[in-house]
Amino acid sequence: MTIPRGRSLTLIAAAIVVVNGFFPAVWILLTSLKTEAELVSKPITWWPHNPTLANYVQAFTDQPLLRYLGNSLAVAVLSTILSLVVASLAAYAIARLNLRRRQLILTCIVASSMFPLVTLLVPIFQTMRSLGLLNTYTALVLPYTVLNLPVCTLVLVGFFQSIPRDLENAAMIDGCTRLGALWRVVVPLAAPGVFTAGILAFVNAWDEFLLALSLNASASMRTLPVGITLYQGEFTFPWPIISAALIVAIVPVAVLIAVFQERVVGGLTQGGLKG
Amino acid sequence: MATGASMIERMRDPSEASLGMLLLAPAFLLLALIVVYPIATLIFNSFFDLRLSGGGGMKFVGLENYLLVLKDPDFWNATWNTVLITLITVPGALVVGLGLALLANLPFKRQWPVRLALLLPWALPLAFAGLIFAWFFHTEYGIVNDVVRRLGFGGEPTMWLLRPGWAFAAICLTIVWKTSSFMALILLAGLQMIPRSLYEAAEVDGASKGQQFWQITIPMLMPSIIVALIFRTITALQTFDIPYTMTRGGPGNATETLAMLIHKTTIDYLDVGYGSTLAVFMFLLSLAVTAVYLRRIGRQA
Amino acid sequence: MKRRNLLKALALCAAVAASTGSTGALADTTLRVFSGGANQRPDLMRKLFDQFQAANPGVKIEIETGGATSELQRQYLSTVLNAKDSAIDIYMIDIVNPAQYFGAGWLEPLNAYVGNPADAMKPFLPVYLQSNVVDGKVAAMPGFADAMFMYYRKDLLEKYRIAEPKTWDELAAASKKIQAGEGNPNLQGLSIQGAPIEGAVCTFLLPYWSQGKEFNDASGKLTLDRTAAVKGLNQWLGMVDGGVIKRNVAEVKTPDTVNEFKAGQVVFAINWGFAWDRFQADNDSTVKGKVGVMPLPAMAGGKSATCVGGWQWAVSAFSKNKAEAAKLVKFMSTPAASKFLAVEGSLLPVYQSVYVDPDVVKAVPWFKDASNVVIAGKSRPLSKDYGQVSDVVRTTTSAVLARTKKPEDGVGEIESRLARVMR
Repeated sequence: MTIPRGRSLTLIAAAIVVVNGFFPAVWILLTSLKTEAELVSKPITWWPHNPTLANYVQAFTDQPLLRYLGNSLAVAVLSTILSLVVASLAAYAIARLNLRRRQLILTCIVASSMFPLVTLLVPIFQTMRSLGLLNTYTALVLPYTVLNLPVCTLVLVGFFQSIPRDLENAAMIDGCTRLGALWRVVVPLAAPGVFTAGILAFVNAWDEFLLALSLNASASMRTLPVGITLYQGEFTFPWPIISAALIVAIVPVAVLIAVFQERVVGGLTQGGLKG
Repeated sequence: MATGASMIERMRDPSEASLGMLLLAPAFLLLALIVVYPIATLIFNSFFDLRLSGGGGMKFVGLENYLLVLKDPDFWNATWNTVLITLITVPGALVVGLGLALLANLPFKRQWPVRLALLLPWALPLAFAGLIFAWFFHTEYGIVNDVVRRLGFGGEPTMWLLRPGWAFAAICLTIVWKTSSFMALILLAGLQMIPRSLYEAAEVDGASKGQQFWQITIPMLMPSIIVALIFRTITALQTFDIPYTMTRGGPGNATETLAMLIHKTTIDYLDVGYGSTLAVFMFLLSLAVTAVYLRRIGRQA
Repeated sequence: MKRRNLLKALALCAAVAASTGSTGALADTTLRVFSGGANQRPDLMRKLFDQFQAANPGVKIEIETGGATSELQRQYLSTVLNAKDSAIDIYMIDIVNPAQYFGAGWLEPLNAYVGNPADAMKPFLPVYLQSNVVDGKVAAMPGFADAMFMYYRKDLLEKYRIAEPKTWDELAAASKKIQAGEGNPNLQGLSIQGAPIEGAVCTFLLPYWSQGKEFNDASGKLTLDRTAAVKGLNQWLGMVDGGVIKRNVAEVKTPDTVNEFKAGQVVFAINWGFAWDRFQADNDSTVKGKVGVMPLPAMAGGKSATCVGGWQWAVSAFSKNKAEAAKLVKFMSTPAASKFLAVEGSLLPVYQSVYVDPDVVKAVPWFKDASNVVIAGKSRPLSKDYGQVSDVVRTTTSAVLARTKKPEDGVGEIESRLARVMR
């Protein structure tokens, strides 16, 4: 396919993508500026009549939103790092070593994602309890790492396969050990892939709800998605405040993506998901 | 007896097999802890009548739970819904994702707003995507009916989430919106890998745009498509958050999926034995559906 | 002044509890309490816990709060208790849960601490003898009550010279008259909860009970009268057809009713007791001073009945500090604690006597009207499988109100699904 030259066509294309991606976020943003009374007016309003930032203030005072933000960040970052370490070790072994049954090994890792965590909730809770890990970051970091293992491994296997073996061999001829070659040659070359896999892992961990609700229920350890549900009462559903909190939750990830978007796509491109 | 020196030597440069074991060990340790052990518990429980409401006593019942599941209309209803959601949303997300990827691949002066728009749905937590779309489809306060009204279609507003067919469609639409984003991301990466020279050569040969699309773009994208489909299919079979937040499986159980039925049976009904059996069936279903894909990765890896 | 007196009385109470109980010589017991969500006012509970701590040196109480809705809490507690977790000693649980949790062996029987069930429950509202006593054992002690009330717009009823309706048909007629007179297309006659949430169980039961029928007998066996159940559901559907209840009732959740009533869009509303404060005290309420409370109407020839809710204190069977925990539970269910929660938080008392306490009447005048409603209240079906009972009833009710099921089929389904569970 060649690229259409028409500027207007390109703009229309951009508009479609942008509207599709942004409209819920924009709607949430508009809602976060409305009062609760405006929300039940009929017919509904699109633009807030009396824009107010009060909902943001309340979002931060009703619940320890910063604390939730910190917890989410800690859990997501730690599990991303762990996913990357574990997945790149495994991916290297699968992609580069002459192992028998490596198809089977990869299949096993991918198949592990076929059991939905929802159904494993109670046994996982029991495991974490007997390890004394409930209400710690570790309780979430471990399952999230497993959650991300298949996709990270798959991305990284593709990446490692795309790095010419000769480079590695040359390093070993120059006196590097196998692990030395891995560390000095393969890892730097695979950096874009590691980065991509990292973002995938980060977002997955950032989004998870059900495990976070059950394993880290104590107030000081709650993550953002769990915390946000707490604005909702048995008897109240304050959409404006929830919207404000949601915006706070979306912004870090959106910034992360905006800053690194080139590398998210680029990383996938260079290594190539070889399938 | 290995001397100390050769031990150190081996540590520094282990053989292929032992290095392989070493590198794979962390992954398999984690899998054992978080997946294998819980699944083993699940399979074990599936052979027992284990209802916590009865005080938690376990009675071995062999395959009775399995026979009950096969005769359970709720199980078949949930299975049918799950399969239907998979059959609709996986191709749906592929088509929409491909469209978005093609659009996003056009040469924009500023790329970041497009990329951000492409990735934002993916970054929105599932549970909240469900909540937000449920609100869009609300009879009175939803934007969908507001747009319908503004376009001049008067009369009684449609109650989207209270009609089984519409509710199902609304859920599928939400899932497609949410998941096409990730699909597009992978496909966009694939698109950018296709060498421009292929299109230039095709142009010289007088191939039409359509021919170029079907004969260059699609075949070259195939590996990316397969990977995206595998993950999309697996997650589609596990669909839980979006119907749970949008309809709670309603009206009635018209939009209840297998994952929801299992969650309900275990957590609400406290029927652990039966819930475990349902989970085993779900695993078998996932296995059957994804075996095809897995064979394909197996061949290529 | 009043507040200080009350605290003093509480402190005294706690001191007595401390001195009469086993002198916990083993110092430094930490009790972890699951204290519900934000709506169960953990801030007030904390004040009571502080009282208890002051009177019982060596006991430290830590609060854990949970999800905001009863369903979220149940989900969490089911996971925790399923795993026999000993980290939490005391649970605050919804009135529908003692039977289920006790049946699962998750709660410690309290007979050894509070005496035999009949005597222990005597001073409380009658409903607790049913809801908190399971198989002759005290499973939980009442914390504070709640109930479904019928709120109405006093000003509108006065304007059209309509008396408080006694039957559902009278209510429908009154609504239609007011709706026609006001000429506001957004004005609903009656707002009930039809979404598949816990409140929909009450939506099913209210018209059914008000025909004098019971859902279950004392042993928990299902005694569903199909004709009456169908008639009850048809009562709602008739009101939907008549424009009294809005068409998308199967989407209405508890907060929707509250917000719409607050916005002046509803004449009659069925909702929990907390709603009173929302109507009367919220800044954005347009109906301040225009709200009345009355007993729920009945079916012609039947009698008024309502759904009782509220929260209980229970000791975990897996707790390692059961004696101390039981002492705290006893303290939290004293008349003084009940009075404190009523005065400070407008939480409905669990003692009949507290409703007429002068301080309470002064602080929360409408409790006077509330007491008759609560005393006549009934508990939802008691079952060890309440999770399933609730799910079947609310899902089916919602589907019938959404008109995806005929009432006859819905009731048939409830009966066939629950016959096995409630026997």
